[in-house]
Amino acid sequence: MRTRLVIFPVTAVLLLLSFAGATYAHHGFVSWFDMTRSTTVKGTVTSFDWTNPHAYIYFDVKDEKGAIVKWSAELGALAMLARAGWKRDTLKPGDEITAIGNPAKDGKPIMHLDKIVFANGQELSSAL
Amino acid sequence: MRKYLIFSAVAAAMLALSSATFGQDTTRPGAVPDISGVWLVENFQPRLFPNGGAPFTPWAEMKFKATDPQTNDPNLACLPMGVPRFMIAAPYPMEILQMPTRVIIIHEGPQMMRQIYMNRQHPKDLDPTYSGDAIGKWEGDTLVVDTIGFNDKTWLDGGGLPHSEKMHVVERIRRTDHDTLVDTFTIDDPMAYTKPITAQQVYKLKPGWEIQEYVCEENNKYTYQGK
Repeated sequence: MRTRLVIFPVTAVLLLLSFAGATYAHHGFVSWFDMTRSTTVKGTVTSFDWTNPHAYIYFDVKDEKGAIVKWSAELGALAMLARAGWKRDTLKPGDEITAIGNPAKDGKPIMHLDKIVFANGQELSSAL
Repeated sequence: MRKYLIFSAVAAAMLALSSATFGQDTTRPGAVPDISGVWLVENFQPRLFPNGGAPFTPWAEMKFKATDPQTNDPNLACLPMGVPRFMIAAPYPMEILQMPTRVIIIHEGPQMMRQIYMNRQHPKDLDPTYSGDAIGKWEGDTLVVDTIGFNDKTWLDGGGLPHSEKMHVVERIRRTDHDTLVDTFTIDDPMAYTKPITAQQVYKLKPGWEIQEYVCEENNKYTYQGK
């Protein structure tokens, strides 16, 4: 199902065993997300939760039949995101983004965000 | 060596070679090294034994088999990580403040404040707590911290390593260069482990950083199924 939904191909990426530079999150993202794979999804932001313990981006993605799939991307804690350049108004509803991150192990349309690419091509990583 | 959480050859070499202290004149009588500042773990590794092999007693092995980071990590309920977990397996900065009678560690992630008393012994008949009772003394340029009085509600790491109220943690904290702090842990808990566990964590100085508010309960979407 996930394969059908993503706009770009899901690419298997073997990450370094070290977590240096990885997005920091306190809730054991390793057990929820497949940290060995990366997925890329393009969509339209519907809301941005600037909250602890994690921030969340909610966005709509059109599948190949044009149906809307509700995606979310989980980020780290606010203080660490702020140090990486994020702000509470970094995203607003209607923004077109490409989200790149680790997919959920259970196949749900959820990812652990690595970075976003804005419509103008500018990138913002969720890691320091 | 394999049991070390983080082993940095560079840090080890610096430990062996450097006796310098930083930012403070330690030639004055009573002067101690300056380890104050905001520090962040150099490498975040949530598990003490990423490849398995913890020296469990049968009691601890049974407890470990019941752990599941997806369902019963106390952290899912925003409960404190406690000592030593927040010192060795938490990816958030900590600020060290030094006073003549106490060294205080304010940790951003779990909003924990750890007080290390420099002028007293452990009280008798301690009430078990998440961070235990910590006392410290300087041995040359090394802060030696002795902590007991733990409850058994925390994990040693993010992987579910259990411990008992008998746990005794000794840390040797040393600033090996201006930007580097190394904490070497010896975790002794005969009820849970057949031999002491040693681990090392390296922290890097973060100039200009300030510890920020972190309210875990604000929008915690994880479900805790522990007890």
